[in-house]
Amino acid sequence: MRTLRHNTLHWFPACAFIALYLLFDWATYIDPLHGLNITPWNPDPALGMVFWLRYGKRAALPWFVALLAGEVLVRGVSAGLIITLLGALWLTLAYGVIGEALRRRFSSTDIFDNSHRLFAWVAIVVAGSVVNGVVYVTLLTAAGLVPRAEWTMAVWRFSVGDTVGLVVSMPLIWMLASAPGRARLRERVSNWETPAYLALAIGVLWLVFGFITSAEFKHFHFLFLPLIWAASRQGVYGAALMVFVLQTAIVALVKWTGAVDIAVDELQMLDAMMALVGFFIGIAVDERRQAADDLKHTLRLAAAGEMAAALAHELNQPLTALAAYGKACEHLLAHGDTGELLQGAIARMVVESGRAAEVVRRLRDFFRTGAMRLEALDARVLVSTVSQQFVDALREHGVELAVDADAYAAATAAPTLYADRLQIELVLRNLLANALDAVKGRPAGARRIRIVIAPLDGARLQLSVEDSGEGVSAALAVRLFEPFVSSKGSGMGLGLVLSRAIAEAHGGSLRADVATHGMFRLILPAMAPGAHGVNDAQ
Amino acid sequence: MPSNLTVFIVDDDPAVRDALGLLLGVRGYRTAVFASGEAFLHAWRADWAGCLLADIRMSGMDGLELQRRLGELGCLIPIIIVTAHGDVSLARAAFKARASDFLEKPFDDAKLIAAIDEALAQEAVVRSDVRRRAAGAELLRELTPREREVMRLVVLGRHNREIAPALGISVRTVEVHKARLMGKLGVDNVADLVRISML
Repeated sequence: MRTLRHNTLHWFPACAFIALYLLFDWATYIDPLHGLNITPWNPDPALGMVFWLRYGKRAALPWFVALLAGEVLVRGVSAGLIITLLGALWLTLAYGVIGEALRRRFSSTDIFDNSHRLFAWVAIVVAGSVVNGVVYVTLLTAAGLVPRAEWTMAVWRFSVGDTVGLVVSMPLIWMLASAPGRARLRERVSNWETPAYLALAIGVLWLVFGFITSAEFKHFHFLFLPLIWAASRQGVYGAALMVFVLQTAIVALVKWTGAVDIAVDELQMLDAMMALVGFFIGIAVDERRQAADDLKHTLRLAAAGEMAAALAHELNQPLTALAAYGKACEHLLAHGDTGELLQGAIARMVVESGRAAEVVRRLRDFFRTGAMRLEALDARVLVSTVSQQFVDALREHGVELAVDADAYAAATAAPTLYADRLQIELVLRNLLANALDAVKGRPAGARRIRIVIAPLDGARLQLSVEDSGEGVSAALAVRLFEPFVSSKGSGMGLGLVLSRAIAEAHGGSLRADVATHGMFRLILPAMAPGAHGVNDAQ
Repeated sequence: MPSNLTVFIVDDDPAVRDALGLLLGVRGYRTAVFASGEAFLHAWRADWAGCLLADIRMSGMDGLELQRRLGELGCLIPIIIVTAHGDVSLARAAFKARASDFLEKPFDDAKLIAAIDEALAQEAVVRSDVRRRAAGAELLRELTPREREVMRLVVLGRHNREIAPALGISVRTVEVHKARLMGKLGVDNVADLVRISML
């Protein structure tokens, strides 16, 4: 967001503006109509428009001075003193109206960050330029400087010149005019692709202008190549740069090769179309990227929020125990009781602080792995690593654990996941802890957990954790993945919410089946067998 | 508050259970700990008196469920609900089901003791009331049907002269019955008689 409201205009930017404006005017004063300010490419209003957006009505006087100075220095008052003055006054007024229309609309927002705003900008610029052209050329015609028969053609050339000038140059000038815009542009275009597409552009330009006398616009469409490259990779910033470079190069080449006989205004129209295509692609790319970034950020925040809430819950248990033990010790000491009771309480305090530390360690693990580090993992190894951590608990409660990877017994391909090891371990640990809790309620001998690793179509892999517990009712299944729906006061505590978030961040899913026994399915992307050198001959 | 009342602790976290038991134990409370709502319900007997400290989130039966089941059993023991994360809707549900207090883990020692003392005081009032009621009922059972009839009319404020024709007996007989029933109930005025009749 740029704020345009409170900029005061000092003499320095005003003078710099006038100087730059004159430079633009001079450099693009090509193929004028009757020596007047009617040229096929007129980028100076783009500079003026950005200036107006920044300073509002205070930009009028410098702009008027610049227009007048242009007539005097570049064109030598070709229209006579009165008409020159009147013309400059009108242009200042007309540009001012366009500038004010843009300013009203975009005073608190960026123009080039969404397609609706871009469309509004194009509409204002085109409509404004046409109206401006009609009045200005009529003024010149009335003064006898343009023959009546050429009125239509003059209006066309003037409007095209201004429209193209604004459409092609204004985005880049707008970006360059503010420090955040410059930083953003620098950040976006500073990679190897910029010189690459610029080189491609040079090649295409050489191709186009090398043959243009014989082939007219036949090769012009090749210019879309570098533009689409720039726009699709670097968004609207890359597009703005590319469009400006192409336009400058085309004008320079037209001037240099003296190819003014090729319909320059038509070339200009093509260029304007190209610019619009570039900007709309760029905006679409930017919007998509923005949406993806927003989503990622939201997901991470949500996961961190879940994590923090789970942590608060998890930490509360040992903290409660610690506080109670501490108070009890205080009481014992106050009564001079330093026997076994006190020692026992202190020993248990140490255990509890260890438990609290474990919770914190888990949180640290999560945040350290918040950015996913994907690697090829053998699901069987993963499962055995995690189940290793449950050996004692399983034995203590007499729970039978079976791991079934039969689907992979005969095949040459291993069940290879492409995932973040720590995060998936976290999910598996959570699922196993849940399963263990679920079977505890069953009579001894009926406590079973089964983990099945099986391939799914579409390069996916399913890890299902079944238990002989009560299972998930339809009512619970709906709410199971909401934060804190689980009725557990202890256990892993990370929650199914976070596990699902992790699975989804991997492009997989986690769901619970409604069944008379526990059934959780974790589906993750698998690595294609060929990807790591193992290839099925069939 | 040393008394014959017990603090029953129901929490599925072994450390929390143990620590609370120890803390209250060294402070002179009689405590009993249970690992789950089911275990408590299974062991519960009608003559148990004291207060219940129950975690709201437990695997298996949660605190609110335990509270509801005890209500169904006609157990009026005051319940202090404990949670590891303050949850307004749960607290509301607990209070609607007549919880005595609601504590957030980790709780302040003083707050815990205050809540327990208040719950036990509440329980003591209820218990003595129950005892008084039971004693009154016991005494009333010893009256003969005729004495009970006379008592009903005396409590309604009738004079002996009005009671006699109503029951078809002499005023003198009414006076004898009245003296005998007041002797059995151990009261010497009509006001005390009214109080006993209202138990």
